Amino acid sequence: MGKKKKGISFGFALPAFVIYTGLLVIPIMMAFYFSLTKWNGFGKMEFVGIKNYVNAFRDSRIFHAVENTLVISIVTVGFVNVFGLFLAIQVNKLSLRNNFFRVIFFIPFVLSSVAVSFVWKSILSYTGLLNGILEAVGGSEWIGNWLGKRESAIVCIIIVEIWRILGYHMMLYLAALQTVPEELYEACTVDGGNAWKKFRNVTLPLIIPGMSVSVLMSIINELRVYDTVKILTDGGPGYDTETIVYNIIAQGFTNNMVGYSSAISVVLFIVIGSVSVFIMYAMRKKEVEM
Amino acid sequence: MRSFKRKRQALDTLQTMILLVVGIFIALPIYLTVINTFKPSNDIIGDPLGLPIPPVMDNIVVIIENPYANIVKMYGNTIFLMVTGTFFTIVISAMAAYYLARKKGRLGEFMKIYFLAGIMVPYVIVYLPLCILLKKAGIPLNVFSLILVMVSSSISFSVFMYTNYITTLPKELEESAAIDGATKTQTFWKILFPILRPCTAAVMIFVGMGFWNDFQTPLLMGQIQTITVGIYSAVGKYSADWGIVFAYVFFATVPVVIAYLCAQKSFVSGLTVGAIKG
Repeated sequence: MGKKKKGISFGFALPAFVIYTGLLVIPIMMAFYFSLTKWNGFGKMEFVGIKNYVNAFRDSRIFHAVENTLVISIVTVGFVNVFGLFLAIQVNKLSLRNNFFRVIFFIPFVLSSVAVSFVWKSILSYTGLLNGILEAVGGSEWIGNWLGKRESAIVCIIIVEIWRILGYHMMLYLAALQTVPEELYEACTVDGGNAWKKFRNVTLPLIIPGMSVSVLMSIINELRVYDTVKILTDGGPGYDTETIVYNIIAQGFTNNMVGYSSAISVVLFIVIGSVSVFIMYAMRKKEVEM
Repeated sequence: MRSFKRKRQALDTLQTMILLVVGIFIALPIYLTVINTFKPSNDIIGDPLGLPIPPVMDNIVVIIENPYANIVKMYGNTIFLMVTGTFFTIVISAMAAYYLARKKGRLGEFMKIYFLAGIMVPYVIVYLPLCILLKKAGIPLNVFSLILVMVSSSISFSVFMYTNYITTLPKELEESAAIDGATKTQTFWKILFPILRPCTAAVMIFVGMGFWNDFQTPLLMGQIQTITVGIYSAVGKYSADWGIVFAYVFFATVPVVIAYLCAQKSFVSGLTVGAIKG
């Protein structure tokens, strides 16, 4: 192939290569190295092998952070994918009404998560709007410190996460639905298929690639949840609502435990990488079967 | 036939009702922000849902005049960061993608994987080593170094988008330009880059919006007072003065909402197309 024309020069990729390598790849390699040390960021660095990893697995604070992250992720991922697909089917036909709701539902996703978290905080705080309304309508006994207790605070975080990304996942499913040819539905109707059969035999198999993307994106995003938690509860009360990323940042930046923080982030890195590869593999297999 | 029609109508009404309920859930926080920005704080708790009659500008005056958390200065920082950062990301990513799309052989394949692997990285792993690295290199944390850092975090995605796009383009254009004696650089900027416009638009929206809304990176890389970090550090002082909080949120989000409403199609495709291609 093309011996006569000159190949393309690496010069084109050089600026991106330098910045990407220097500011992303090298720091990641540093994190792997730091994770094997005990270091506070400025004093003497001590090599401790896998001790940080061993300690992390025994640390109850990290166990809670993992538990919280998993609860938030599982509920949010499940909800936005099932309900997002449901909504996408509702607004799939082109009409004024459907277009209106598509536009509205997507708005939260373009807003800064910090800004929207503050709005939700103003609603859910003890001195916030929800309790104010309850007081005004004579429902004082319903007033609660929603963000001040672990269980209800986690529920609040999940609600805000769902509010933020539901419309985005609806749009992902909508894009997938629009690749389904109309003729296939007609064929199914002729064969006497009802709505469920149409969904099960026509829609679902054809949107599997879109679904895998939506599920993957939601898992990756929720495993990294931070902004919402930082604003709504700041990890509290105590360490009760910390998530993995919150914990990594708190250990690293507040407690100056560079080695320990790096070890947790390396584990997260590996988990997210494996989840991505696994889901893409599993979904591809499923696609072939159906 | 008539019963079928009636069933269809009932279904349609049910659908509209479901959409309305979800719509209210989605719209309520936005509605609250807009109306309560124009109310004095003590009116907000008593009547959070009512319209602000007459509208009061006190909250807005406070956040414009506040010398420590000045909304005008935050806008300046954020816009500078977003415009410069997006520009650099686009230029260097498009160039790198040209190389990746046209380079044959093992090196080309390796470089593709090398650049794309960054998409899966949870960025939190980078902050601490990066702070230490910059400190060792004697680079201060300011708006300029923040731009570089944020560019580095957007390269993977942008390169991925451009590479996919360029790969689908026919090579004839470039070949005829080469015959006319154009260098590769001329060919790229004069002929190829203009054709990449749809892709550039998507990258611009995705990366630009990411820069505008990012919180972690400016917070951890030197507490640079962008809009998100600015609100965060300002609101601490007014923790339960919701009028001020709403005013900050209002100003942080209004430009994005206006941009979105003006160019919905580009926003939706810019923000979903990357995911779909992946």
